[in-house]
Amino acid sequence: MLTRYVFRRVAIGLIQLFGLVIAVFFLIRLLPADPVSRFVGLNSSEEAYAQAERNLGLDRPIMTQLGHYLGVLPGEGEGLLQGSLGTSWVTGTAVSTEIAQALPVTLELLTLAFFFALVLSVPIGMLAAIRPGGAADKGVFVYSLFAGSQPEFWWGLLFVYLFFFTWGVAPAPLGILSPLTSAPPDVTGFVLIDSLLAGRPDVFLEAAHHYMLPVATMVFILSGPIIKMVRQNMVRALGSDFVLYARCAGLPKWRVALYALRAAMAPSMTLIGILYGFMLGGAVLIESVFSLGGLGQYAIRSILAFDYPAIQGVILVITAISLLVYLALDLIHAVIDPRVTF
Amino acid sequence: MTAETVLRAVAPDAETRAEVLRVEGLRVTYRTEDGDVSPLTNFSLTIREHEVVGLVGDAGSGKSTAALALMGVVRPPGRIASGEVYFGGEDLLKKDEDEVRQLRGKDIGIIVQNPRGALNPMLRVGTQIGNVYRAHNQVGRGDAAARAVDMLRKVGINDPERRVAAYAHELSGGMAQRALIAMALSSNPRLLIADEPTSGLDVTIQAQFLDEMWDTVQETGSAILLITQDLGIIANYCDRVAVLHDGEIVEDKPVREFFANPEHAYSQSIMALQREVASDRTEARQSMHSEAEVTTEAHLVDIAKLTKNFPIRGSDKVVQAVQSVDLEIREGETLGLVGESGSGKTTVGRCLLRLEEPTSGAISYRGEDISGISKRDLRSFRSRMQIVFQDPFDSLNPRWTVGRVLREPLDLHTTLSRAEKVARSRELLEMVGLSPDILDRKPKGMGAGAMQRLNIARALASNPEFIVLDEPTSVLSPSAISELITLLRRLQDELGLSYLFISHDLTTVKYLCHRVAVMYLGQVVEVGTVDQIFNSPRHPYALALLSSHLFPDPAHRRVDHREPDALSGEIPSPVDLPVGCYLAGRCPHATDRCRAEPQVLERLADGRMSRCWRVSAGELEAAP
Amino acid sequence: MAETVQIHEERRTDWLFWVGVTIVSLVTFLAAFGPSIAPYDPTLATGRVAVPPPGLSEWPGLFWASLSGQLDRPPHWFGTDATGFDIFSRVISAPRVDLTIALAANGLSLVLGVFLGLIAGYFRNIFTEGMMRVSDVLQSFPVFISAMILVALAGRSTVNIVIALALLYTPIYIRLTRSEVLSQRVRGYVEAARALGNPEIVVALRHVLPNSLAPALIQSSVTIGFAILLTAGLSFVGAGVRPPAPEWGLMISSGANQIILGEWWPSVFPGVAISLTVFGFAVLGNALERRYDG
Repeated sequence: MLTRYVFRRVAIGLIQLFGLVIAVFFLIRLLPADPVSRFVGLNSSEEAYAQAERNLGLDRPIMTQLGHYLGVLPGEGEGLLQGSLGTSWVTGTAVSTEIAQALPVTLELLTLAFFFALVLSVPIGMLAAIRPGGAADKGVFVYSLFAGSQPEFWWGLLFVYLFFFTWGVAPAPLGILSPLTSAPPDVTGFVLIDSLLAGRPDVFLEAAHHYMLPVATMVFILSGPIIKMVRQNMVRALGSDFVLYARCAGLPKWRVALYALRAAMAPSMTLIGILYGFMLGGAVLIESVFSLGGLGQYAIRSILAFDYPAIQGVILVITAISLLVYLALDLIHAVIDPRVTF
Repeated sequence: MTAETVLRAVAPDAETRAEVLRVEGLRVTYRTEDGDVSPLTNFSLTIREHEVVGLVGDAGSGKSTAALALMGVVRPPGRIASGEVYFGGEDLLKKDEDEVRQLRGKDIGIIVQNPRGALNPMLRVGTQIGNVYRAHNQVGRGDAAARAVDMLRKVGINDPERRVAAYAHELSGGMAQRALIAMALSSNPRLLIADEPTSGLDVTIQAQFLDEMWDTVQETGSAILLITQDLGIIANYCDRVAVLHDGEIVEDKPVREFFANPEHAYSQSIMALQREVASDRTEARQSMHSEAEVTTEAHLVDIAKLTKNFPIRGSDKVVQAVQSVDLEIREGETLGLVGESGSGKTTVGRCLLRLEEPTSGAISYRGEDISGISKRDLRSFRSRMQIVFQDPFDSLNPRWTVGRVLREPLDLHTTLSRAEKVARSRELLEMVGLSPDILDRKPKGMGAGAMQRLNIARALASNPEFIVLDEPTSVLSPSAISELITLLRRLQDELGLSYLFISHDLTTVKYLCHRVAVMYLGQVVEVGTVDQIFNSPRHPYALALLSSHLFPDPAHRRVDHREPDALSGEIPSPVDLPVGCYLAGRCPHATDRCRAEPQVLERLADGRMSRCWRVSAGELEAAP
Repeated sequence: MAETVQIHEERRTDWLFWVGVTIVSLVTFLAAFGPSIAPYDPTLATGRVAVPPPGLSEWPGLFWASLSGQLDRPPHWFGTDATGFDIFSRVISAPRVDLTIALAANGLSLVLGVFLGLIAGYFRNIFTEGMMRVSDVLQSFPVFISAMILVALAGRSTVNIVIALALLYTPIYIRLTRSEVLSQRVRGYVEAARALGNPEIVVALRHVLPNSLAPALIQSSVTIGFAILLTAGLSFVGAGVRPPAPEWGLMISSGANQIILGEWWPSVFPGVAISLTVFGFAVLGNALERRYDG
């Protein structure tokens, strides 16, 4: 049952991804951008232009370009179907290599942010739900509305001004490790893990210190929707007939609370998944403020440089990760709630 | 009949029995945006040992609030403002929360309407019963689990060892209600509060359940507070009745006395229909035509071999909702269509108006076939046949005023001027007993009964000859039901209307209909006059349906003489129907031939039609 | 349990609704008149570079002085940035850009989404189901990155930003409207309208549509807020409107490099403006939602 469900979900996800890749492929080529002149300059000679166009493969018919990208043209090397994301037009490096370098930072940032956001927000949301309409609830409600509607990049800058410039408790927003620190050997790609594996607590602390502000910024932004959701689900659960009935049946308070908590957590899973997917793309701005060099910044660079293979790669990877996260959370949801069937 | 019930029936010393619960001046208040609201203002009631007390009242009268408040529980953000609840001589409301909690579920058990909602959706039923049992008894997990199995068996669940592992969503409504009562009775409470325990259950299941509840409680010796809107349940199961109106008990007396002589104006209003039916008892509405002359006469509506299948998504199976139904409706008569949920009665009504496209079969109106004509041609028939739906609130566009609602059919089917339409709308409102001055109001805020009148007015706007009434009373309170039925009867007499009256409430059917068709699993199993069906049903299903129906007559209490001909088991799925007679699996008279041979509707000597070969062969004689 | 007592959650802080209304009205006013009442031309450098804003204690005096005409030029209430632009003038002129983009994008997607959602929900057939799949794919795009791609590759103009945002928001409205239509079209009043003899198209437009609008309209307030955030974010990473247009995100971005050096004012003032504006729309949307549910 379970394996069949997972298999089906993955299969559907792959089809969805494929549709997305095709859509993006045509979309960026239909838009009136001229990557060739971006690379050779506006005042270049016609031959240089034509040469560059040939080098990028943009002189060929669009279907041929697609075939090349997918890797279905005989004798043209590997394409997407063989697992290759192509080569960056800007750096000449394989897109997959570049993404592999950038992705861990983003995942580390997101995972830390989600961890702390959940640890902080879930109790607050539950506290607010105990007495709906009470003073605590009102305060929490206004906070969640506020935090949920803020420009994260501006808060990042504000934190930099306060914590770095004014109070000096945070490092400058210039990446995760200072250029003077030698990076630990690359095992997993995640600095926090690699530094521990290499027995370098100093590097671990330095990276953690650098993550402090970006994570704090993101926690602030995330806390809004999470608190709101936890509160709402908890209020609903506490007001439900079965919680009322559990009280009528004389169950101890702690067990009634447990009934409600479980009922409230189940529907929260879906939203956390959506939020994670959303932030995967939304981390762009925070990464940019703190120069973290993650996937978001890679996306900005590629888009502004009209680096088509890189753009396609980024979208593909982000969507694939989102789909995996959705799947994982749906599975957790099914474990909590027996009504969810495969 | 046990010795005890005899005693109960005659016990003159009811007053001297020991008190289980005494409530004095209970008041519950909710704080809302528009100030405080008190669903319960002055609730006083005493329940004695071994007593079954019925509590009746309209929706919103505070019945459920009372049920909870008796245990010291109030839905948030409400609170108990004043009053005393003596249980075992002590005022519950003065005890601290933990002491009261010990009483709940142990000494006072409760079962509620919507049992599936009251069960935790994420825990197995057995675990939940065990949790409650362990909360009040010093036992381990294993003993609690064993107790859960015992209790489920006791309340009549087959295969309890397997059912303890089920989740709420895997249970039928009747099953979930049984699980709830198993939980409520697990610690042998002295009082069981049953808050509309059978709403949402089918009549045959309802009777089964109430019987079992009654039996179980007899065993455990609990007293019962039975909250319901159904006077049939009161008459058949209760010793005493308390009437709750606007948050206050307005009448409280033994059940026979109450039925014989209701005093309060509200009590009289809910009893109105029952009294009419009672006075009508000897002469049920006679068909205007005897069965013999029928066949030659032209009918208003003829339904021939009507079949409707609903495909199931992602499967090639179908739900066979209606199968080859033949019916005719004659001018000026009311044909009642009765059956439990899933019998297909509503689908027949909807197909008749082409709100649902029939899979096959013919429908003709005054001899003209309307089952095959285009939607455009159908529109001219729309003014002649109308429909009133079950949920009056849902049937009105929430954004429209009463005036606009009534103008719509006039715009569609008449060429009246604007002023004439207003005049006609006012006239329609008066016809259904509403004030003509509400044209500018929105239906929101009107009572369900008034809204249903408005729906009837809208249906009447185009001067139809025929109206399908699709369970028009099922969400109404007892007093609104009797008003509505009286109105329908009056309109029929004044306007010469014909009705197809679809209902599961046999009391109203008996009062309103001339002829009745009984449906089971998409088939008509018996058609005859009201008298034939109600006084001498022949088909085993019709018989079972009638005997399960709780007529509001305390002189013939079900608990005093149990009907032998009950059906057993559950209704088969309309996706996988049996080969032979659909009832064969539940019928006490089934033979091998029944299981092998599909049954056909055959005319009997007295003019009725029945779908049972044993009835046709005269093997099953009418019950004495 | 039976006869569920209708408990509306207490009307949470009605003052909040008025905060929302006030903020939204103020921003709308500035979108209309901001550039006209600005003391300086928002796109013309004053020649005075990186002037810090006056201290709070000086404001009343300065205000009085500027009113009585004692100053030879208006004060720089919020200071000037590294280019020499008057930040106050730019902050109050920006709504014309930000709000216009947000309103246009939202309006476009609202109309398109509601229309398609009605069709998809009311007439379910192979075409509308196909449309829903396309809408699914669109919705699975990472929003911010997709917006960047669309705008950067189509050209950084206001119109392109509007189209990009509209494209990304339309699926939300399709989904909202469709699911509401799906629940409305089986309601009794729709059946009754059919039984009365209304043609399908009339039932759809006169009965179902008006009763299915609420979720989309409530969402509008939220979407407008997020469109403002997105517009600013695009400018911040250099994929939005071009400088020197007065736009909040652009202003924050141009001050970003100075903030490490302690020049906080070029970024902080526009940031406060965005923060309050989006909060105002969020509050308003929430209040509408509660009224609708209640």
